[in-house]
Amino acid sequence: MQKELLHLFIEDSPIEIGVFDTNMNFISCSKLWCKKLGLASEEVIGKSYYQIFPETTEEIRKIHEYCLKGSFISFEGEKTILPSGKIQWLNFKINSWEKEKGKVGGLIIVCEDISNKRNEDEYRLKAQKVANIGGWEVNLITNEVYWTNITKELHEVSENYVPALEEAVSFYKEGYHREKIVALVSEAISDGTPWDTELLIVTAKGAEKWVRVIGKVEYVNNKAAKITGTFQDIDSKKKAEINYQEILLRHNVATKTASIGVWDYDLASQELSCDENTYLLYEADLSGFGNTYDAWKRSVLQEDRDRVIKEMDFAIQHRVEFNTEFRIRLKNGRIKYIKSIAQVHKYPDSIETKMIGANWDITEFKHTELKLIKRKESFLGVFNNSSVGMALIGLDGSWLKINKSLCASLGYTKEELMELTFQDITHPDDYITDLSLLDKLTLGEIDQYQIEKRYFHKKGHIVYVILSVTKVSKIDGGLSHFISQVVDITSRKEAENKVRAVLKITADQNESLTNFAHIVSHNLRSHSTNLSMLTGFLINETDKEERENLIRMLNDSSESLDETISHLNEVVSVKLNVLGKLEGVKIIDVFDNVRKSVAALLKENDAILNVQIPKEYIISAVPAYVESILLNLLTNSVKYCSSKRRLVVDIKARRERDKIIVSFSDNGLGIDMKRHQNKIFGMYKTFHKHKDSKGIGLFITKSQIEAMNGKIEVDSSVDVGTTFTLYFNSYKK
Amino acid sequence: MNKIHSACIIDDDPIFVYGTKRIMKDVDFCEEIHVFENGLDAIEELNRLRVAKEKLPKLIFLDLNMPIMNGWEFLDDFQKIPRHIREGVIIYIISSSIDPRDIERVKTYDIVSDYILKPVTPKDLQNLLEELAE
Repeated sequence: MQKELLHLFIEDSPIEIGVFDTNMNFISCSKLWCKKLGLASEEVIGKSYYQIFPETTEEIRKIHEYCLKGSFISFEGEKTILPSGKIQWLNFKINSWEKEKGKVGGLIIVCEDISNKRNEDEYRLKAQKVANIGGWEVNLITNEVYWTNITKELHEVSENYVPALEEAVSFYKEGYHREKIVALVSEAISDGTPWDTELLIVTAKGAEKWVRVIGKVEYVNNKAAKITGTFQDIDSKKKAEINYQEILLRHNVATKTASIGVWDYDLASQELSCDENTYLLYEADLSGFGNTYDAWKRSVLQEDRDRVIKEMDFAIQHRVEFNTEFRIRLKNGRIKYIKSIAQVHKYPDSIETKMIGANWDITEFKHTELKLIKRKESFLGVFNNSSVGMALIGLDGSWLKINKSLCASLGYTKEELMELTFQDITHPDDYITDLSLLDKLTLGEIDQYQIEKRYFHKKGHIVYVILSVTKVSKIDGGLSHFISQVVDITSRKEAENKVRAVLKITADQNESLTNFAHIVSHNLRSHSTNLSMLTGFLINETDKEERENLIRMLNDSSESLDETISHLNEVVSVKLNVLGKLEGVKIIDVFDNVRKSVAALLKENDAILNVQIPKEYIISAVPAYVESILLNLLTNSVKYCSSKRRLVVDIKARRERDKIIVSFSDNGLGIDMKRHQNKIFGMYKTFHKHKDSKGIGLFITKSQIEAMNGKIEVDSSVDVGTTFTLYFNSYKK
Repeated sequence: MNKIHSACIIDDDPIFVYGTKRIMKDVDFCEEIHVFENGLDAIEELNRLRVAKEKLPKLIFLDLNMPIMNGWEFLDDFQKIPRHIREGVIIYIISSSIDPRDIERVKTYDIVSDYILKPVTPKDLQNLLEELAE
């Protein structure tokens, strides 16, 4: 009974307990232990301990043997491998029991499962290892220092390094860090103040490393006995933090300098927080801003408010960039232009969603922009409405833009002119000058130039202009385009040309008057000297025959004088009688008259006449002069025809601008141009030994045609023929 | 006074030629007188004489205004005759022109000795003979 009670007591015991005989066979075992072992009690009772725990160490066996001699032993932390293979950490209490007085009946073994506790310790160590947290301890009585392995690793010393107190301190970086740790330790010893600080050490290998050092004093009998603490590597974290601080500082400096305000808006709480710069931007007190988001909304100008809020809502909803400009009204009523850019951010580990943005003052920019627009508008106004022709010209010489005045000056529509280049309408003689200046402008040798040049009007006539070209640079200094200003000076130029022409006529007439005076004096003197000479001879001549001869010569001479005077009269009348007598003359009609009057002469000489004069050609002329000119040229052709060939005269007329040009070619004797070029039209110049040559016809012809504001040119080759080219003015009503 | 061996008149005015020839005879100016109506006839004759290696005339009276080839052109062509051949030929311009431009132009020709304004008087010829004698 007593034995059964005992069994019952053992079996139901809430601890792991077993009763063994001297052979270490289970007599009894608590159900709890059986359960832990994963066996039924029948499988355990009667079995040997060593059968159940085959891994039992020799040491334990010896303890069992020792206890069987009647001793009590308790020991901790024995690692036991269960039949299931699971590892268990156990605390053992082993005692013997007496079968009879003084005779050991066996052992009672109690074991306590400390696996969980043990595991926690192991995890803690592992965690420390992973977090690079080492431990340390200073015994204040012996001044001995103890470092855990991790602490040693952090100092980069070997595992068997034993630090002295001074040495431990000397690892801290000289200066602030070392002084700080000494101060903390001293304070801890004197006041018991614990510390938790971050300092820089220099490891045994010379590397600098940030560490977190925690220390706390332990007391024994109210006396500081030791300081224990941890030692943690926070280098990368600390460096990241320092780096972050630097970036933040730089960011702050940057935003402050640039007056960029930064704000964030919490979408959930609808709270807007702003940095100092933003407040400065809105010129609002930090205190008086109230609900910042509402205050911001109020500050936005009414006209912009709905739009900005709409844009912001859109950005939030669609997670896109918020990028806008709006105006705010400041307390003092002034308007500021604000540019704001923002983006919605969602932090990965947070439900919190924020819109973070920046805003800054663009008032000055806006004002400049407005000014620029105004300037552009006023330039455009000037450009379009100027009475001066203006054009913007690209670097390739093409028109970029032209105004009405330019089109009007040149007679083209805008569309027509845009199709052309300035080269197309420039007078060929002015093209090189203009182009070389444009090249200089392009090369930067000059900034602008001004020239007088000629363009061609759409109708073909010349347009005189003063052209000013200025270059326009881009922001980077390169060339953008040119501005040309074209002042039409055609009317001025025409007047100038008229004056010049009048001057030239005057000069020419002076010249011809001088010549004429000399011709007159020469010719008259020739005759007068002859007359006086002949009369001188006559007075003294006695021979009758000779006297008659002299009188005949006197008669001839006075006849020549008469003829000369009539020539001179003719010339003078040509010079005098033209003004106001010019009329429309149908050139073909005049020519037909001439042909009739020389028909007999032509027939006699068997001449061929080819005439190509359009009927509609009407010239501005004196009809009698035209007749005289044509008659003179035609009779000249007959007079100086070649005996070697049949005379052919070609007469052609063509129109060139406002001139009608008649060419008059024969295949006669021709004139040596090299010798006589300058005197062909001179008075009393003859080139052929012909009885009728008086040297007066071409002189009169030239005078007549010039009197009608035309001109005559000649080209000739000896024994080939002569071509006279007559320039008449086309008749204008 | 030594009279000149041969003189030559280049002028297209027959009355002037007649008068001059007559004065020359009166003052016993020269042995031979050649007359040409224009410069071309004269230069052709001079060239003929040159080729024939005959003597050129000692004196030439040259008019300026003539048809075909005037006095200026004659001077230009005369200068083309090699210097050693034309050396010793004395040229006088005889003209009615009082145009200063003509007188200036005459000065540019080294081969021209002087400019005599028409008409030629017996005094002119006597002075000339005196000059030649010196």
